[in-house]
Amino acid sequence: MSNPAPILEVRGLFKRIHSGTHEVEILRGVDFAVARGEALAIRGPSGSGKSTLLGILAGLDAPSLGSVWIDGEDITGLDEDALAILRARKIGFVFQSYQLVPTLTAEENVLLPLDLIGEGDRAGLARARELLDQVGLGERYDHYPVQLSGGEQQRVALARAFVNRPPLILADEPTGNLDSTTGAHVMQMLDELNRREGATLVLVTHDADLAARTERVITLQDGRIVSDERLAPAVSS
Amino acid sequence: MSARTGRSGWATAAKIAWRESRAAWGKFAFVIAAVAVGVGALSGVRGFSGAFRNMLLRDARTLMAADLAVRMYHEPDAREQAALDEITARGAERTWITETVSMVSSDASPRPLMVAVKAVDPDVYPFYGKIELRGAASLKAALAQGAVVTDDLLVRLGVNLGDAVRLGDAEIPLAAVVTVEPDRMTGSFNVGPRLLLSRGNLDRTGLMQRGSRAAQRYLFKMPAQGGIDIATARGLLEKVFRPYWIADYRETHPTIRRGLDRATNFLSLVSLVALIVGALGVAMAMHSHLEQRLDTIAILKCIGARSGQIVRIYTLQTLALGVIGSALGILLGYGVQAWAPRFLAQYFPTPPNLEWQPVAAVQALAIGLLTTLLFSVPTLLRVRKIRPALIFRREMERRAKSVGERLREARGALVAGAVIVAAIGGVATWLGDSVQLGLWFAGGLLASLLVLATASWSLLAVLERLPHWLPFRLPTAIRHGVANLHRPGVHAEAVLTALGVGVTFTLSVYLIQTSVLDQMIKSAPPEMPNVFLMNVTRAEVEPLTQYLKDYPGVEEVELTPTIAARLEMVDGRPLAELNLGEDSRFAQTRGISWREDKPDEVDVLRGSWWTPEDKRSLVAVREDVAEELGVDVGSKLAWLAGRRNVEAEVANVFRAESIRPGASLHFMLNRAALEGAPAVFYGGVRIAPDKAVELQRDAFARFPTVLVLNAADVIRIVQDVVDQIAIVVQVISAFAILGGVIILTSSVVATRFRRVRETAILRTLGATRSKVARIFSVEFTVLGLAAGALGALLASGFSALLLERVLDAAYEPALAPLLATVIGTALIANLAGWLASFRILGRKPLEVLRHE
Repeated sequence: MSNPAPILEVRGLFKRIHSGTHEVEILRGVDFAVARGEALAIRGPSGSGKSTLLGILAGLDAPSLGSVWIDGEDITGLDEDALAILRARKIGFVFQSYQLVPTLTAEENVLLPLDLIGEGDRAGLARARELLDQVGLGERYDHYPVQLSGGEQQRVALARAFVNRPPLILADEPTGNLDSTTGAHVMQMLDELNRREGATLVLVTHDADLAARTERVITLQDGRIVSDERLAPAVSS
Repeated sequence: MSARTGRSGWATAAKIAWRESRAAWGKFAFVIAAVAVGVGALSGVRGFSGAFRNMLLRDARTLMAADLAVRMYHEPDAREQAALDEITARGAERTWITETVSMVSSDASPRPLMVAVKAVDPDVYPFYGKIELRGAASLKAALAQGAVVTDDLLVRLGVNLGDAVRLGDAEIPLAAVVTVEPDRMTGSFNVGPRLLLSRGNLDRTGLMQRGSRAAQRYLFKMPAQGGIDIATARGLLEKVFRPYWIADYRETHPTIRRGLDRATNFLSLVSLVALIVGALGVAMAMHSHLEQRLDTIAILKCIGARSGQIVRIYTLQTLALGVIGSALGILLGYGVQAWAPRFLAQYFPTPPNLEWQPVAAVQALAIGLLTTLLFSVPTLLRVRKIRPALIFRREMERRAKSVGERLREARGALVAGAVIVAAIGGVATWLGDSVQLGLWFAGGLLASLLVLATASWSLLAVLERLPHWLPFRLPTAIRHGVANLHRPGVHAEAVLTALGVGVTFTLSVYLIQTSVLDQMIKSAPPEMPNVFLMNVTRAEVEPLTQYLKDYPGVEEVELTPTIAARLEMVDGRPLAELNLGEDSRFAQTRGISWREDKPDEVDVLRGSWWTPEDKRSLVAVREDVAEELGVDVGSKLAWLAGRRNVEAEVANVFRAESIRPGASLHFMLNRAALEGAPAVFYGGVRIAPDKAVELQRDAFARFPTVLVLNAADVIRIVQDVVDQIAIVVQVISAFAILGGVIILTSSVVATRFRRVRETAILRTLGATRSKVARIFSVEFTVLGLAAGALGALLASGFSALLLERVLDAAYEPALAPLLATVIGTALIANLAGWLASFRILGRKPLEVLRHE
């Protein structure tokens, strides 16, 4: 936190995709920066380019034009392996549809990012279990995703996102597949984990209530930022 | 440091690969089963054909009673004896047989009888097969008592077992009757009834004086393991004994030799087809396995896995699946081999020996692993290119790409494809022991893949546009079914190509088998004569022919004139100048015959057969004789027949596929050449083997001077071997075809996972089960018809090529099997598709969607 440089910075981002005979421009010049420890929501109606933007921020997709800087490093020129290493070390990702590996148990899913950087040892396992305990799944280490409800699967995904202590958490509609009660519960856990771990959260959602839980809301429409507002300190329940 | 990282990298990969596979054994079992079927088809067919080939060769050996034999007309000199001894010194067994012709007499008969005498050592003779006797337990016991003779000797001399006959200076008691002497056809001096005796008794007869006309035959049995092999032994004999008769068991009978050659080539070909079909099964299984792992791969990338790590994980997993599948496949192949002979026992009196062959098992394991890895390479290479964003947008981006871009993207796959084809060619060379066969195979595979991929792509492109061209709207089920084939991510080209390759090779096996069997039956016609008649005078021809035609059970009668003649000149040069050696078969007086029409068993190789109108003197010369004398069409030959000079021009060179003792088929002249010469007639008739002895007795009573030689048992051995070859060919083909069908089924089954979600969505949207069923049926049927038609076309071309170039047989096109294939493939595609999708339809849509 002593470093004043933003953890995330986006400069002049454009994205076009070709679908059959059509060419669609999804992002049309997006610029913003996120300070360390901040919690930011990106809002917008369906098709406004939110998810595409988040994919580019995580290095999962490449922009057509512009650049993305994470922790002072331009990631747009990196090759796939360098991006993978970056994600393994600095980014935790939460998906709308959980994206757990169906053939691994809850514990193994959480441990996976540590395995990939060679830290899936005893200490790693303890860390994975600690996180599962924190999201209330202490009894379900050995369950496979199909044996868990949607809310439980998303909690496993939260534990996985935080397991290697990334400075940046990216979440794509994390409650989009859940009913409102479960969704609120998951969001609360995401909030708590984020605070406890001291990470920076970038959340994509079309849900105004969810966005209102963060400190800052950027609204996208037709691939452009139409507003960037700082809210009063979180109205956390 | 880097080594440590590398090792721990593999360890982590192994850990993740293991964890990931533990939970999904059901799906993995399918992959393992497909690999096992592929490797099982390969190792089963290989093991089968090896065991059957040995069995056929064993039966062929009985016709010669040995592996290798040499025959001459004198006792060996020092140099020749040294060559014989060298072979035995190097591990082979040897036995000496002497054959001659002599007269036997008895007080019971006023007339002495000419017999074919054969002296053997019953301790070792015969090396293969069995001399069957009546009246004694063993040949050894019988020869210790006296002589063993054929039934006709008893009839002609009017004697019984126990009586003594006079042979040369000795009185020898008759100890037993020989009913089957398997190697009789390869003997010499085959005129008259057989008389077998021990060497001691032969010496007592005093027949073997200096200058006596006798054939000395040495039989060899090669050591089972180590020591000298047939080719080496044969080489040693040829160096010393040329131009005498030297033969190994493969040439005991031309029909058997050709049958064995064809069967051997065919069996290695089928092994290769099993390899392709097996590899195809492995490829389809690996493709669909890795296809299902794409989501997991994308997730892994999202949470920070590098491509190298993912490739390691899946390479290890693939290897494990390959090893387990191959090991099961070897067991499967062996199980089928072990079980089949019991089922086949009714066809084979002595079923093939099955031995666990470690080399074959290692070979199958290596090939199973190699194909598993090779066929995973294209998919594993794609792992590098899978963008993690796949999670958000699977294969939705379909923009037109330039040819260059496509080529660049496909470069990895093309290289992998080239490596696969080259490796299969290499394995084919390895399995078939022939670079030529390997090249043909790799070429055939490459051509099939190219043609099939192009045709599949074009066909799918047409199907995609078809609904827009039609002036009317197709029914929903057909529209959806056809559309299913070109939806993004469906890879129908791959399924179609795989099905097509499977159909091509499976049908090729059938087509080639049919032609090979056809040729075999032609060269060993069931109506081949089995009783031979000799020394028939011109006056007896008419009444004998009539008598035989009226005899119950006789199927065909044919008498050929023979004139005793000695070859004098070849193209104006005396025979002596040709340096054929003083023992040459042409130095003696032999029979030559004349014919109006070409005998059925004769194939004219060069020149042409004559017409009855041709008044020139013409001669047909057998292939080997033409080669030895150095003559060809247009050459002039001259004989001395009695006091008459016979001259004739060579009209053709021929090959004959059957054996007729007595009437030598070296030369056949036309009637114009031999008109009026004093002829003796020879002939053969066909009769049921159990009636042959009776015919011998009856014919003797009516025509006492005519020699009747019963070869029914020997001809039956030839026929049996050919029949067995035919059964082996059919069994192995059936096995390969069955394997092909199973693999075809699994290619369709592999598309199942895509259907799960699609069915759920369609049903959620209100499609009834029968509607979904109709949509799938259309899809399966179109796939099956297209693959069947493409495969049938390719198989016809491939079979024609292989038959003519490798198997020395003609391809006769037939429409019925091709049509049956097209319809059959459609049925199989439907059946397989239904077996795979049946359960999906029963599942609740929500359950499926939630689990996806």
